[in-house]
Amino acid sequence: MKFQDAVKKSIKAFMNGKSPQATDEMNEGGIFHTPAYFDELEEQMLSDDGKEEIVDEDV
Amino acid sequence: MKMFDAPIAGANYSADTRNYPWHRPPDLVNYDEGVDYLIQKMNEPQELELVYALLDIDAHISTIVSSLLMQGISRGKFSIDLAILMAGPIARYISILADEQDIKYNMGVGDEDRVNITPTSLKMALGILDSDGEEETLEVLAEVPVMQEGGLMGAPTGDDVAASEDEQAAMLGMVEEEVESTDELA
Repeated sequence: MKFQDAVKKSIKAFMNGKSPQATDEMNEGGIFHTPAYFDELEEQMLSDDGKEEIVDEDV
Repeated sequence: MKMFDAPIAGANYSADTRNYPWHRPPDLVNYDEGVDYLIQKMNEPQELELVYALLDIDAHISTIVSSLLMQGISRGKFSIDLAILMAGPIARYISILADEQDIKYNMGVGDEDRVNITPTSLKMALGILDSDGEEETLEVLAEVPVMQEGGLMGAPTGDDVAASEDEQAAMLGMVEEEVESTDELA
């Protein structure tokens, strides 16, 4: 398997909500950058954009 | 099977393992630290511009991610194994950045980027097909002579080989040539 194929496989798995289990078990508090974390980050970043736009409209 | 598409057996024992950054222990070995490092690096204005530019030219996110990871590996920041693990979070982050900027993107992880190989596409790839390519091919085929029996030096055979009687008579000068009247010229 080529590096590019491995990267694609990894991205596909992460987008399907899977995170590296062994790495998660190895870390004491579990891994931080999980699919759920990025879902929250997306909501936060996109909502921040909305606020900025509203401010711009007022100006 | 490619016979010589592999390193020589034992080459790893003779190479100096300290020549390249990826031969030394990586700087980052923790998954979260690695993802943090890449996200911070992507937030630098120059890197961010590059990511947006690549997204604008419809580059797949998987391609952008693999190039970022290769850069980190070549600098000895993290190992190849950790890079593959980090591919998912980095791709997800780039997709969020694209959504934020209203840029349409393609993850590039499906089979939609697979190119179907057809005879026409193959001809185009080989550069033997253009607008009047078929006509040229037909002309070339028409000019190809039929191989004679008995090889190149063999005696000609077939009905069309011998000239007709009129042609033979003309070749021997036995036909009177018509003399053009000069009256019309005068």
